Amino acid sequence: MSSTTTESMSPREPGSSPARPGSSNAGRSLAGPGPTFIRVLNSEVIKFRSLLSTLILLASTAVVMVGFGALSAWGTGQFADAANRDPQAAARVAAQGGDLTVSVPTSGIAFAQLILGSLGVLLMSSEFTTGMARSTFAAVPRRLPAFAAKLVVVMVTSFVVTAVSTWVAGLVAVPILDNYGLKLDLGSSQSVKLLLVNSIYVAAVAAIGMALGTLIRNSAGGIMSLVGIFFVAPIAFQLIPGDFFKEARKYLPGNTVEPLTAAQHIPDTLEAWQAGLVLGAWVVIPVLLAAVLLKRRDV
Amino acid sequence: MIEVNGLTKVYGAKTAVAGVSFAVRAGQVTGFLGPNGAGKSTTMRMIMGLDRPTSGSATVNGLPYVQHKAPLRVVGALLDAKAVHTSRSAYNHLLAMAATHSIPKTRVHEVIEMTGLDAVARKKAGGFSLGMGQRLGIAAALLGDPQTLILDEPVNGLDPEGVVWVRNLVRYLAGQGRTVFLSSHLMSEMAQTADHLIVIGRGRVIADAPIRDIITGNGQARVRVRTDQPERLQQLLAGRGASIDVPEREMLEVTGLEPKTIAATALENQVMVYELTPLVASLEEAYMELTKDDVEYHSLPAAEVSK
Repeated sequence: MSSTTTESMSPREPGSSPARPGSSNAGRSLAGPGPTFIRVLNSEVIKFRSLLSTLILLASTAVVMVGFGALSAWGTGQFADAANRDPQAAARVAAQGGDLTVSVPTSGIAFAQLILGSLGVLLMSSEFTTGMARSTFAAVPRRLPAFAAKLVVVMVTSFVVTAVSTWVAGLVAVPILDNYGLKLDLGSSQSVKLLLVNSIYVAAVAAIGMALGTLIRNSAGGIMSLVGIFFVAPIAFQLIPGDFFKEARKYLPGNTVEPLTAAQHIPDTLEAWQAGLVLGAWVVIPVLLAAVLLKRRDV
Repeated sequence: MIEVNGLTKVYGAKTAVAGVSFAVRAGQVTGFLGPNGAGKSTTMRMIMGLDRPTSGSATVNGLPYVQHKAPLRVVGALLDAKAVHTSRSAYNHLLAMAATHSIPKTRVHEVIEMTGLDAVARKKAGGFSLGMGQRLGIAAALLGDPQTLILDEPVNGLDPEGVVWVRNLVRYLAGQGRTVFLSSHLMSEMAQTADHLIVIGRGRVIADAPIRDIITGNGQARVRVRTDQPERLQQLLAGRGASIDVPEREMLEVTGLEPKTIAATALENQVMVYELTPLVASLEEAYMELTKDDVEYHSLPAAEVSK
């Protein structure tokens, strides 16, 4: 902040000999290994897996994803049964391109996004609410390696948990759908695309959550902001009349998944490449802002 | 070696630390003494790179803390007994801290044993008493076997056994040639632990001197004298320029004369003296004297509170 702090960068030990300028000081810090990124990552992994609350949130995500997959398979089967008897419903099914079942495994994604997004918030906000941040940033005083390591842990875990639960949800859904004579091919390109895009999306939400947790430093405030962006804003934008909000709604992060996974372009949504860029911006901007402020603010 | 130069921290309209400069040397325990809100913790957090100074600088072994390659191996700090995630076990907390510097698990077990945490190491740190939290904080500070230790109020909440343990530990660490910087608002604790004292009040350094100088520097030496002829002796001593209190019958408190002079005066005049005790001003008195103008939060006398 102030220019006077840079003074301290030059060693000013009166007794240091001019032959080895500053080297005697620097040498003392080389007493042993320091915090490299890999070590900090290892530390963040230990912190992550040693919290029961984290593991509970991960398990709930899996349960919700698989549960909703099963429910959705059952509902889709019932709907298809009705459609067979009702020509109107049959016409509606046909209008959807006939591929009813492919989105069954990801039907719980809204909840996965909420749980893992909150996890992202909590992992950082709890550092500040518990005082752990002082230990973390005393060990890694440059701060950004710890931030980056935590981000990697949050995003990778969210991606893997979402992908695995989506896949298991699919495995559970296949026999249920089979009962109604419906087919779900988990290996089809559309199934794989849905699984990957949704998992990346949830990882992105978790990253946004972590950025909010870093900026707000308060668990309730961070989670409320996350809910505001992903659940309240889409509804509010729909209710407010006017073209601006209709247009703006497309750019909300929650509305980027549809264009990214659709087989064909859906009217009133972004193109797939635009949606990818918008989602990327929703991650990069808050994360960079959080990183800059984390580096500058007092812990 | 910790060097602090013109360190200032301003929060909005409030100046917590106002241009503080001092050096903490190796091989001795340096106490950092001051009333609540004097700026002790803020100064320590700035040394540790957690708070950004408004101006000024702080270095450890010639480098700002942030620039050290292996900071935990250079400085160990206990800044707050609650700098722990409440839901994580003490063992996992230390393990995660150690992982950042590739400190082996054996060292984690070592510091747990050293601080007497064996029995509770696998329990959630949130359930710890203040004393246990202090021990965990000290364990974390010792992890990297650092040459410099910064301990903010380490005896806060410790039982008497723990207080003695911390006292012996810091004396032992300083004896090994390490730099130990210890804050407290308990003067009695400092009197028994520190070699050198930096007294701070309202964000300013009030005194920076060896502890002996601080005790003797304020208030002159006093001598307690018991005699069966107090009036006579009082007269004689007053004649030699002493100022004398008479707290009890047959007892004088003499300020401004050496015990030997008092004894000689009594002997010459055939006055019997049956006690002659030099009174050392307590650090507490010296401290109150030093900080009376710099206390942030004054209390009312008990009588006024109850009105």
